[in-house]
Amino acid sequence: MFVLSILGDTLSVHPRNFGAPPAQALTNQINKKYANRILHNVGMCMCLFDIVSASEGKVRYGDGMLWYKVKFRMVVFRPFTSEVILAKVKSSDESGVRISVGFFDDIHIPTAYLPSPSAFDPNERSHFWYNPADPPDDYDPATTTLSQTDLLDTSKSDRWYIEKNDIVRIRVESDEFYDDEPGPPKGEKAVEGEGKVKRPSYSVVCSMVEPGTGVVDWWSGAGGDEDVEMDDA
Amino acid sequence: MEVINARSALLSNYEVLSLLRELEADHLASTKTAFRIKKEEEASGTTPLPGGSREPEILDNLRTVEVEAIEYLAADWQPTSKQTAAGVTKLVKALAPYDLTKGEKLQIVNLAPSETVELYVIVEELEDRFGSDQPVEILEKVKESLSAPDTPAANGTSAVTPRYTAAAPVNGTYEEPDNWDEEDEQMWDDTGEGAGVEGELDVDDD
Repeated sequence: MFVLSILGDTLSVHPRNFGAPPAQALTNQINKKYANRILHNVGMCMCLFDIVSASEGKVRYGDGMLWYKVKFRMVVFRPFTSEVILAKVKSSDESGVRISVGFFDDIHIPTAYLPSPSAFDPNERSHFWYNPADPPDDYDPATTTLSQTDLLDTSKSDRWYIEKNDIVRIRVESDEFYDDEPGPPKGEKAVEGEGKVKRPSYSVVCSMVEPGTGVVDWWSGAGGDEDVEMDDA
Repeated sequence: MEVINARSALLSNYEVLSLLRELEADHLASTKTAFRIKKEEEASGTTPLPGGSREPEILDNLRTVEVEAIEYLAADWQPTSKQTAAGVTKLVKALAPYDLTKGEKLQIVNLAPSETVELYVIVEELEDRFGSDQPVEILEKVKESLSAPDTPAANGTSAVTPRYTAAAPVNGTYEEPDNWDEEDEQMWDDTGEGAGVEGELDVDDD
């Protein structure tokens, strides 16, 4: 889920930091500029890994800073497509489940990527997977299609809930960057103020459709679950 | 800013965690030194130059991501607490003979699967590619690479309790006075620092 990205930049060191070794001052400068920030089409920067090369510091006309041309490697959070990761359920609503890895929480699982058949229980405010221990005779997970109302009529003991703070194993399906460049405010928008929901600049879509993915406890140790898994495989 | 190579190498969770822990340790050390220097200056009566604060700049964004990422990577449901640098190296070498892709190997290291179901998720078409025996071997190798959950002392996460329970019965009571001395020293330091803060407050009051 982490990668090393090689980046280049021209950075300045304030005279206040001339006392520190240049490498140390530059490290601070890089971390200050990049840590916890999202780079378009690169990912979310965590921290500096190392400095590859740096030029001599130069003073330019107009300020007292030392300017360095630096090439460095960043630790970047960018899970690759089809990677399997462990994460925590942050919240659920009708549109799907929101997942968090602590430092990054724009991870979504739309309802289509939840284990089938599943439904949203408005009373519990969470999704559940209908996985009966002894299914009715006419029920076959592969062919039977249950409507949302059918699913909400099922007995609670057959529902496997995806609750808040559950640890889930999920597969990365896709990721998307959105460049939220500030432009001139349009007439209507300016009046409405912050009427529009802000889109995250980096978001990841994951799934828990396959056997083995989903809440970790579903698959730990229980032999019965593995039978289901084998059937599907 | 230019991106020279967005994905030059893959990093395992364990590597990132050790890097972040190093950063955290550096940060703690530097704030401690800064505090000590400040205290010494106060004690000797020299006033620091105006505007020339020697306190290291605290990078809020770095601290945030550092703390949150360590919390995620060192959580008890992650295998990182049982991993060691040597163990990970050994595991990667042990996985070399199998025809796994780079990404699959990385995920095996990151997730340390203990059951076949988990391996099915990580490795595509596990059965067709590896039959039924090799997955069991792979799981066995993963298990070997992890240190027993009872001895995570190397990472220092939960080393405090086992050290006392293990050391006391073997070495008898002689071990304990040593520890007490150490603790006394630390306690003394703490009061020193506390006094420093009080002194500072007094100055403010004046």
